[in-house]
Amino acid sequence: MNAKLHWVATHCVAIAIAAAFIMPLIFIGLTAVMPDEQALTPDLWPKSWEWGNLATVFRTAPLSRWLLNTVIYAVLATIFTLVSAVPTAYALARYKLRGTNIAFLLVVAMMLLPPQVLVVPMYLIWASLGLTGSIWPLVIPLLLGDAFSIFLLRQFLLTIPEDYADAARIDGCGELRVLLRVVLPMMKPALAAVGLFTFFYAWNDYYGPLIYLSEMPDQWTLSIGLASFKSVHSVQWNLTMAATVIVMAPLIILFFFAQKAFIEGVTLTGVKG
Amino acid sequence: MLRRRRIAALLFLTPWLIGVTVFFLYPLGMTVYLSFTRYSMLDQPELVGFRNYEYLFTKDPYLLQAIRNTGWFIAIMVPAQVLFALGAAQVLTKLKSGAGFFRTLFYLPSLAPPVAATIAFVFLFNPATGPVNQALGFFGIKGPLWFTDPAWAKPGLVLLALWGSGNLIIILLAALLDVPKELYEAAALDGASGTQSFRHVTLPSISPVLLFAVVTGMIGAIQYFTQAVVAGSVASGSADITPSAQLPGPPEGSTLTLPYWLFVQGFQRYNMGYASALAVVIFVISLAFTVVLLRRKSGFAQVTS
Amino acid sequence: MKSLAAVAAALLVCAGCVPSVGGQEPGDPQVITLWHPLKDPNEVKAVRAALDRFEAAHPGITVKAVPAQDADKVTQAIRGGKPPDAALSFNASSVGAWCATGAFQDLGPWIQRDKVDLQQIPAAVRSYTEFEGKRCVMPLLADTYALYYNKKLLAAAGYSKPPKTISELTAMTKRLTKFSADGTIEVAGFVPYLGTYHSGADLFAAAFGATWLQPDGSANFADDPAFQEMLQWQKSLVDWFGVEKLALFKAGLADEFSSQHAFNTGKIAMMLDGEWRTSFLTNDEAPVDYGTAAVPVADNKPGLYGAGLIGGNIIGVPRGAANPEGGWELVRFLSTDTEALVHFADAMHNVPTTLPALNSPRLDLSREPEFAPFLAAFRHPRSTSQPATSDGGAYLAQFGQFADKWQQGKVPDLAAGLRTLDRQNDDALRLGS
Repeated sequence: MNAKLHWVATHCVAIAIAAAFIMPLIFIGLTAVMPDEQALTPDLWPKSWEWGNLATVFRTAPLSRWLLNTVIYAVLATIFTLVSAVPTAYALARYKLRGTNIAFLLVVAMMLLPPQVLVVPMYLIWASLGLTGSIWPLVIPLLLGDAFSIFLLRQFLLTIPEDYADAARIDGCGELRVLLRVVLPMMKPALAAVGLFTFFYAWNDYYGPLIYLSEMPDQWTLSIGLASFKSVHSVQWNLTMAATVIVMAPLIILFFFAQKAFIEGVTLTGVKG
Repeated sequence: MLRRRRIAALLFLTPWLIGVTVFFLYPLGMTVYLSFTRYSMLDQPELVGFRNYEYLFTKDPYLLQAIRNTGWFIAIMVPAQVLFALGAAQVLTKLKSGAGFFRTLFYLPSLAPPVAATIAFVFLFNPATGPVNQALGFFGIKGPLWFTDPAWAKPGLVLLALWGSGNLIIILLAALLDVPKELYEAAALDGASGTQSFRHVTLPSISPVLLFAVVTGMIGAIQYFTQAVVAGSVASGSADITPSAQLPGPPEGSTLTLPYWLFVQGFQRYNMGYASALAVVIFVISLAFTVVLLRRKSGFAQVTS
Repeated sequence: MKSLAAVAAALLVCAGCVPSVGGQEPGDPQVITLWHPLKDPNEVKAVRAALDRFEAAHPGITVKAVPAQDADKVTQAIRGGKPPDAALSFNASSVGAWCATGAFQDLGPWIQRDKVDLQQIPAAVRSYTEFEGKRCVMPLLADTYALYYNKKLLAAAGYSKPPKTISELTAMTKRLTKFSADGTIEVAGFVPYLGTYHSGADLFAAAFGATWLQPDGSANFADDPAFQEMLQWQKSLVDWFGVEKLALFKAGLADEFSSQHAFNTGKIAMMLDGEWRTSFLTNDEAPVDYGTAAVPVADNKPGLYGAGLIGGNIIGVPRGAANPEGGWELVRFLSTDTEALVHFADAMHNVPTTLPALNSPRLDLSREPEFAPFLAAFRHPRSTSQPATSDGGAYLAQFGQFADKWQQGKVPDLAAGLRTLDRQNDDALRLGS
């Protein structure tokens, strides 16, 4: 009896939390398909279902352009981060030399440093190179190592036994081949986690595009486009919510296809971090 | 062999070393230098001694408010988020059926990009027409003005943060599930109650993960920018997200954070020198946090070693 | 490792070839880029029509217009080194910042070379487009403000005429306002709550004849009693409604540029707004029978009636423009060609900024009765514009924030508060100079 009561109680709490989590998404969806004159009224159920709103948004705002820019940013960021973080993390985890400890401390320091501390000189650097207004200030730094990714990969590498690599070395493999052929395949879960994180970070990033891209509407990403949506394409809340739905949709779809990788990746950052 | 490995290590580290120099050490030095200048980016930087700092410490009418707001987010939003996520994760572990389904539901909102989520929240919390105050009204509660009331804007942002805490829930859930069953069984044999076994078994086991959550939360809170900016300006009804014609952080500066004040000074008013002085302040604050966290015997220092 | 470096190098090289809106190839002088802050589809169309006229007069040249680029973005592009060839801005108050720092090019040499007659521009307009004797922008259409009123609602309350003074406005507001059973505002006679559409400290200050700055450029909030009079009146009317009720009312209002605007739907009976609203009311086919009249003025300054705030749109050539000659030609044409100005003003429902255009028999606006108060305000000798400062008119934002605090009842001592505000404003101005 007691167990049954307990079952009911925990499920009630779970349902209550779940409802609080899901209701906002439902209201966003409902508002997105409301007619114009209903959007800012206390009436929450659409009087008529205006599915056309979702198409209207693409016509009134260059959503597809923003989507393309966001994909370019997120994909480049992910590739650049992985390409640069792997060798660095490997060197920090595997080579116990004078200096690697200091280097690791630097990584931690950079990871904890708010980007705003450096934004002024960074902006000046990119402006002097004539690259403001393009995506490059956002992704080139990632090509030279992202601290959080390096940190995460290094922590993961420490859990992989060195034996395999040594065996390969005895077989005459060079250091690069050891990394590529032996270590990399064992790092798959960590690479997936770092990849997903970077992709999400770039997809959601608002600060970077605001600093570097805001005067170039051709280069806008979804975040900055959506933030400006209300001002640039005056105004209807139903259309704003329709745009919001469209911005969220790719991630939710991606999630349902790769749910396992997501959960594992997130878990990994917590436990290993 | 050793020499070869040394060269390999150096080669592996080269791009990163370049990155550290160009994107970390050099700009850090530049920030400090620029903080002693007046610089509008249209002419050369002009050294002005301690004038920026003098203004910062004695005259800036908004700095104190920005520091207070950022401090509020660190002191209230971070613990609230960690506690809430811990509670939600705890509920998930107790579920005998449907745990996977509920886990998905809890996680889903965290997929919403911050800008989108914030705009949606301001809309849902609209005091006149939003469903939240309607629901409160249904229970006979007169809802607050949320993002248009300086006293309620920050709590509104905390709710937004709780809504998006799916990542944290998943991380804490994994940590909770990692606690060895035998420990609970042993505790039960000793006659420990539910709360006692939570205090003496669960908490010690998950404390590194908990600390990690607090640290990353604090780093996030020091940088807190996007949600505060978007919420403040959307709710104020201004046409632009970062309107320069209006003072930042509406209502009444209650959402003005340190990073936002830096953005306004540097990238709207082009007081690059003064913005750099603000950057130095943020640097000092984050450095203090880092040192405290890294020096603690337990937790982070342990995790990173 | 080498290949990685090669990739990096290749990317860095390639970075130069990213297409951008602002810049253009140096060998291609036939394209002029113009950034403007307009975004309403009808207004964007009006800009295009004006540019088509320019292109017709200049065969071989095309103008690429980028909409929704406000003054902040223009400034950012100038610092980033990729500005357009010409930029239009709503904020005449940016003139100070733009001229003082050299962000916009000095037009003087071009004006002299092309013998542009500046006397065709009214003196008041000339003054807000110059800063300390330097002309770096030209005026391109102006905004003036008036009182819009809902004839049906006024008639239902027994009024046949709009208010002329602040006390008339106050009395009518109280009679026109309707509260619903639960105490919320159903119809607001007039919304004194700052930040509701164009109920702003700037327009209210003009109605009380306040002077923003002292002759030396420092803030004048404490010394001009008009500020206190304005704030006292504003607060008393806000308190009559209840500040929380107004905040709730404002939160439920549709956006300023949507067809659900509260004036269109009869939720607001009277409001202050700019002349462009006439065009929005027509285009939205708003079901409201409205009239316009001069902004009501302080009872002790009846001479101000008919005058008001003039806010100018300005156009100039940013520093670092790829095609400055083309930019200047566009600026000159748009701002001084009578025919072009008349058509543009008619299409935009804005006030034209040269005397020949203003007096042109072809100006359709001059025949619209709703537009008369706006043209009259523009011509009125006591109309004023907001003075330029080298920080881009930051005093306006400072005062706006202060007034917002005040209306929430968070300023215990008004006179002391204004004195503090004066000092803060002057300190901030010195920081950037």
